[in-house]
Amino acid sequence: MTDRRAFRPPIQAADAAPAPNLQRARGKLELRVKRLDGRTRLDDLHQAGCLKLRFPKVAGATSEAVLINTSGGLTGGDRLDQSFAVGAGASLSITTQACERIYRASSGRAEVTTRISLGEDGFLAFLPQETILFDEGALARRLELDAPESAGFVLCESVILGREMMGETVTGGSFRESWRVRVGGRLVFADETRLSGAIAEETGSAASLSGNRAFATLLCRNEAPETLIEGLRETLGENGGASLVDGLIVARLVAPSGYLLRKRLVPALAALAKTAVPRIWSL
Amino acid sequence: MRETDAARPAAFAPPVTANADLATLMTLFSAAFPIGSFAFSHGLEAAVAEGRVQTAGDVRDWLAVLLSRGSGWNDLVLMSLAHRAVKNEDAVALEELATLATALCGSAERRHEMMSLGAAFLAAASPWTGSASMPKAGIGDADTAPLPVASGAVAALAGLPLSPSLVGYAQSFASSLVSATVRLVPLGQSEWVVIIRDLMPTIVETAERASVSTLDDLGSAAIVSDIAAMRHETLATRLFRS
Repeated sequence: MTDRRAFRPPIQAADAAPAPNLQRARGKLELRVKRLDGRTRLDDLHQAGCLKLRFPKVAGATSEAVLINTSGGLTGGDRLDQSFAVGAGASLSITTQACERIYRASSGRAEVTTRISLGEDGFLAFLPQETILFDEGALARRLELDAPESAGFVLCESVILGREMMGETVTGGSFRESWRVRVGGRLVFADETRLSGAIAEETGSAASLSGNRAFATLLCRNEAPETLIEGLRETLGENGGASLVDGLIVARLVAPSGYLLRKRLVPALAALAKTAVPRIWSL
Repeated sequence: MRETDAARPAAFAPPVTANADLATLMTLFSAAFPIGSFAFSHGLEAAVAEGRVQTAGDVRDWLAVLLSRGSGWNDLVLMSLAHRAVKNEDAVALEELATLATALCGSAERRHEMMSLGAAFLAAASPWTGSASMPKAGIGDADTAPLPVASGAVAALAGLPLSPSLVGYAQSFASSLVSATVRLVPLGQSEWVVIIRDLMPTIVETAERASVSTLDDLGSAAIVSDIAAMRHETLATRLFRS
């Protein structure tokens, strides 16, 4: 997962499931966790293709799962499907081993689908590391979450346009993010973010990214959101905002670089997800 | 709805009907139509207060982004689909659109803006739609009709063709926000008319794209505009409700 691999096509993992086109990465993952003896335990796990999960040992009642994409990045035609089911009373935090890199797509787009379901009193923190969109990269990502009224969750997706260290500008490409969040069977939040065409030029507009290269969306449902929102607004600073809508905390943030975005996100996630923040989300 | 359809051959609209449609359209999507849009700035009040929008050119650029690839674009897609749902008498689709349009407003004041304007629009437009013909199962009670879905449904019920209705909505969206900035920036009369003139190609082109759009075309790049709408909630001095 280093930049040296940036211009190579993604490598199919040796044990990958057969795919119609071997040039394309496929990954499928299904994880189910349950509460047992006051701790969160693995209930069921299926992993195929380039998606793997690791479970670092962590103290406390929340289990941590780290997603690994062994293909080393995504390009046009690649497809990841991941689903996470958190049983009643169980608590799980998910992150990724590295930033997801979206390489130049010669045709088509990479597609990533995440499905999350929570049981009564369950908790989930879905905190993947930043996605880096390379010049001419194409990604369509969909996240669906279903939770009962008694469950809590924190979601955060963050995106960096181009590799800053290489001074890369994302002149073209496409980025599409769709969220559908249902609580008690009711759609309470949806997001449709889309950057396409001449991305660097278009995101230069004040109403878009105002020339910033990094942005993030945060969503949080917990027992007392009104006690957290004021502190969160301060943490996010003047390039971020937070609101309380339909019992959810929604926050958005833009920053000039991935580093400056993370500098704001780390304390924000610590405030929202508390002990469920994976170690990787520290400065 | 059926009465209107019977009186209006689908294949050919005679000039008299086109003019009648134009008069209806200009009424429903006029700034004078009593829905209270003058009370909302869609986050622009915060954007002006924080120096993100300072000149007439800034206002024009900000609104061009909202219309072509921001909340305005999403509104037009949702309106287009609501129009189609009513034409197809698909109450389930209409209800799903109302739910989605609500959920897409990701901050408290913006959600209030869209719901409050939608409810007011449905109430004010009832002479055109008739309470009996309003698809109750689709829009539900008046409190749960976000503005673009209410607008698309009303336009279809009033027998208005889709494309000009979208132009009407986009024009109304732009002019109500320009008039907010007239007070906020502030702008002179000679400046704001130029903004409206400059936005015309964007309005027409965006409405045209939206007329053939599907759910898959939803998507906004106006992230800082969303942030401004959130930041408005804690602004010290506020003339507007969003």
